[in-house]
Amino acid sequence: MRTGISELAIRLRNREISAVELTKAYIDAIEKLNPTLNAYVHLTFDTALKAAEKADQMLKEDDAPLLCGIPMALKDNICTDGLTTTCCSKILKGFKPYHDATVWEKLKAHGAVLLGKTNMDEFAMGSTSETSCYGAPLNPRNTNYVTGGSSGGSAAAVCANLAVYSLGSDTGGSIRQPASFCGVVGLKPTYGAVSRYGLIAYGSSLDQIGPLTNSVKDAAIVFDAIKGGDKRDQTSVDYDYGSSLAECLDRDVKGMRIGVAEEFFNGINPEIKSKIEEAIKLFEINGAVIENIRLPALKLALPVYYIIACAEASSNLGRYDGIRYGYRTSFYTSIEDMIVKTRSEGFGDEVKRRIMLGTYVLSSGYYDAYYKKACLIREEINREFDAVFEKCDVLVAPTAPNTAFPLNYKGASPVEMYLSDICTVPVNIAGVPAISVPCGEDARGLPIGMQIIGRRFDEATVLQVAHFYEQIAGKVIGAYEGGAGI
Amino acid sequence: MNYEIVCGIETHIELATKTKIFCGCTTEFGGEPNTHCCPVCTGQPGSLPILNQKVVEYAIKAGLALNCKINTKSHMDRKNYVYPDLPKAYQISQYDEPLCEKGYIELDSGKRIGITRIHIEEDAGKLIHENGYTYIDYNRSGVPLIEIVSEPDISSAEEAKEYAEKLQLIMRYIGISDCKMQEGSMRCDVNLSLRKPGDPRFGVRTEIKNINSLSFIQKAVMAEAERQADILDAGGTIVQQTMRYDEGTNSTTPMRDKENSDDYRYFPDPDILRFSIDDEKVEEIRTSLPELPFDKLKRYVNVLGLPEATAKQISRYRKVAEFFEGALAEGASVKNTANLIVGTIFSNMDTEEEKELFAVRISAAQFAALVKLADEKKINIGFAQSTLQKMLESGKPVEEFIKPEDLVGISNEELESLCKEAVDANPKAVADVRSGKDKAINMLFGYIMKKTGGKADIRKAEVLLRKLIGQ
Amino acid sequence: MTISKTEIEKLAKLAKLSFSEEELERFTAEFDEIIAFADTINQSIEGGTEQIRNVGARMVSFDDLRTDEVVPSLPNEKILSNVEGYNGFFSVERSKK
Ligand SMILES: [Zn+2]
Repeated sequence: MRTGISELAIRLRNREISAVELTKAYIDAIEKLNPTLNAYVHLTFDTALKAAEKADQMLKEDDAPLLCGIPMALKDNICTDGLTTTCCSKILKGFKPYHDATVWEKLKAHGAVLLGKTNMDEFAMGSTSETSCYGAPLNPRNTNYVTGGSSGGSAAAVCANLAVYSLGSDTGGSIRQPASFCGVVGLKPTYGAVSRYGLIAYGSSLDQIGPLTNSVKDAAIVFDAIKGGDKRDQTSVDYDYGSSLAECLDRDVKGMRIGVAEEFFNGINPEIKSKIEEAIKLFEINGAVIENIRLPALKLALPVYYIIACAEASSNLGRYDGIRYGYRTSFYTSIEDMIVKTRSEGFGDEVKRRIMLGTYVLSSGYYDAYYKKACLIREEINREFDAVFEKCDVLVAPTAPNTAFPLNYKGASPVEMYLSDICTVPVNIAGVPAISVPCGEDARGLPIGMQIIGRRFDEATVLQVAHFYEQIAGKVIGAYEGGAGI
Repeated sequence: MNYEIVCGIETHIELATKTKIFCGCTTEFGGEPNTHCCPVCTGQPGSLPILNQKVVEYAIKAGLALNCKINTKSHMDRKNYVYPDLPKAYQISQYDEPLCEKGYIELDSGKRIGITRIHIEEDAGKLIHENGYTYIDYNRSGVPLIEIVSEPDISSAEEAKEYAEKLQLIMRYIGISDCKMQEGSMRCDVNLSLRKPGDPRFGVRTEIKNINSLSFIQKAVMAEAERQADILDAGGTIVQQTMRYDEGTNSTTPMRDKENSDDYRYFPDPDILRFSIDDEKVEEIRTSLPELPFDKLKRYVNVLGLPEATAKQISRYRKVAEFFEGALAEGASVKNTANLIVGTIFSNMDTEEEKELFAVRISAAQFAALVKLADEKKINIGFAQSTLQKMLESGKPVEEFIKPEDLVGISNEELESLCKEAVDANPKAVADVRSGKDKAINMLFGYIMKKTGGKADIRKAEVLLRKLIGQ
Repeated sequence: MTISKTEIEKLAKLAKLSFSEEELERFTAEFDEIIAFADTINQSIEGGTEQIRNVGARMVSFDDLRTDEVVPSLPNEKILSNVEGYNGFFSVERSKK
């Protein structure tokens, strides 16, 4: 397995390698591989090297943070002061925010070294990262396949060892699904556990930032660093997690109640189903109590998700009018015309589709039948999750009904693509935490992900179960050869 | 034909908080363009709004002062429309859970104009159209507003004006806004329709936007009512539309719609949590409210016995009323205190604004010290007035201008002999008075005042003089 | 439930988007499928009649709201750093040919 963050931290402290050397190794790897993989869309090597020098200074102190000097990447929808942030959309061409996202502010204070901004679906809308205005990133495990999305670049960068860890955002599965497709670990924290300040909004009531890493322990370390309440995000919660979650990973599953809901397994690729069942068996053998539970409202989760996310998106994306930042069309007859042309030229098809759907479900005459109804069903889904978590400590489910799609797959309509989010969106609707960990490969050698879902703010148990599985299952997918070689 | 006016007024009032409604930028007026701005109030991607507590408090104050029911649970909604002055392409406002509902304002006639609701929202930026360009300044973007919506209970132009006037008075009194209509910190939109007397149905209404003075409200209502009546009389129908009042021509004309649609797609803002205000907090805010001008007016007339006109002038301005009551608390008499404020202090203040600000250089206690000398008849009113003027100009206390010897009054005997002296010394004036030229008596007053250095009680002297002259 | 081209045009106007004739054809067809998908929520359990509020049951109290203290604003150069401003203003030419 790849060198984890804690081991790198020891090497940095023992002067086996300096932060600058480590950063240079990653820069070399990116220069070599990124032209093919397209994981990064903006590179920040100059600032990375400066940050690495500063980190080397910090590392001379005994109390340097664990993440000090570790090279990493941010999804291109996380604002970085003075550094290009575009959501991989033409409409934000050249946009340099003048504020830092809270997560980035926190990581900077830990001495993090930012290598660049990673590729994604435009405005995080998609499941393949192919809606990026910079073209799709490629799946490092097989470049004929997509990385998944929307945090595809973040997953690819970690998979190909072009970053030790990365941050993504997850509105309906955008961390977990690409993590699953690329064979890495992806954690979507509880809604409110991590500040959304500086995350360019897609669906505000669903969006959450989280880490993509090579191991559960790394995910816990990064989560430890970015979590916490923020006075700039009222929806964030200053939850008291007690101690560091990374230090409390060791726990077996004896007596733990693990829920399995058949609704998560409907229409799942049989290969994936059997891998998840193997994992469940493994938990059972190790003393976990498997509870078969039902979540009947789950069948409505997808339309509910698309209605709410698109409604919020249609409002969140109204501000891209060519006036204050980003792209502005060249020729127009009036300001109104300028705005319409700018938006029509600046947004891609999938974004337009979702803005239109969101506008529709909020418009007068349709609000009650769609938006309001969806919010009421959301409450119902929440109640079902609450009830289930009275009986179970965690739920286990597939992360996605399929492994990575081939690139440029044209066989599916937009709605068919939406259906592939079935396993991940209920988690966002309920605002609960979930992690995706690799649990095998399909016949083509493409990774399969398993999802572990927990109670609100119980990331501890989610991480513990995932860590236990990772330890006991051993090598479930092939190693990726290449990248920074560290 | 005769029609009945059915009119309601929507009033936007800028709140006098230090910071904007969703960010820490100052609300200070003026400033170079785009210098009171941050990521939140310019709608930068990734920024999030954080609701200002003071805005909620001020809106509740307004609600309590207007006899509203306070909703102890409330939330913010997004009102979506695209316009260059609105940086997020939605205005954060309140749709179905406003902070305050169901209040009223009582007019002088005793008629109550219902208040439907009061909600909080953010202001937009300013656009300047010049040389083929539109320039945008977001300094005002995010300044907190309350919108006060009245019931269509107003049935005349005079009532419309009185409603707005009373509203302005109350809002200034409770200190939540300066309500300057010219500067835009109070803006009125008037909804108006006509109907035949006794008809329970409403006619088609029009909306007159952004009226920026109280007298224009009255004029605009009259002009629009006339316009609608002319149309109806001619057998036409009223088109529902937005109008503008032109003070030059004293007429209303349709406005070009900036929005071709008014489907605002309201929905609860997911970035702002629903909030609750407990009853204790509401009570705390209620106790912090000053006595309102109309209650003061009633008390001044009924309890203090002031004439209504004087009472009105004093109760109208919160600072004046406080100064007045401060002097009374020091033991000054109601009548002299009131008269000196209205007669002398106000003569130094030409505008409403000066009275509103009431920047006097002496304290209520210093003022009371002077009034009490007059109360005890140690000085006469004329002398008190001139001394007060000097105090106002210098900011110095009464002791600076009145020496102990000034305080000795003129005895009755002294005054009597002085009057005799005056009559003897001015035979022509006496003859003139006798022949009916009453103004000539001023000559005699002047003689007495000169001799006493202005200390004589002129009313007493008049009685004595008329006796001597034989009138 | 199907949606007409006129309705799509009305929505596009609200959303400040424009579509070419060809795009409109394609979008209308896709949109029918999307609306049918969204409509599945109406073929199922009846929702309550209660009013919807913000996400989840979380509420804050008056005391949790931001206190009214001024935080320095950003310099004008920063505010205008992503555009060509004019004398401190954001500026848009009203037409461009
Ligand atoms: Zn601001």
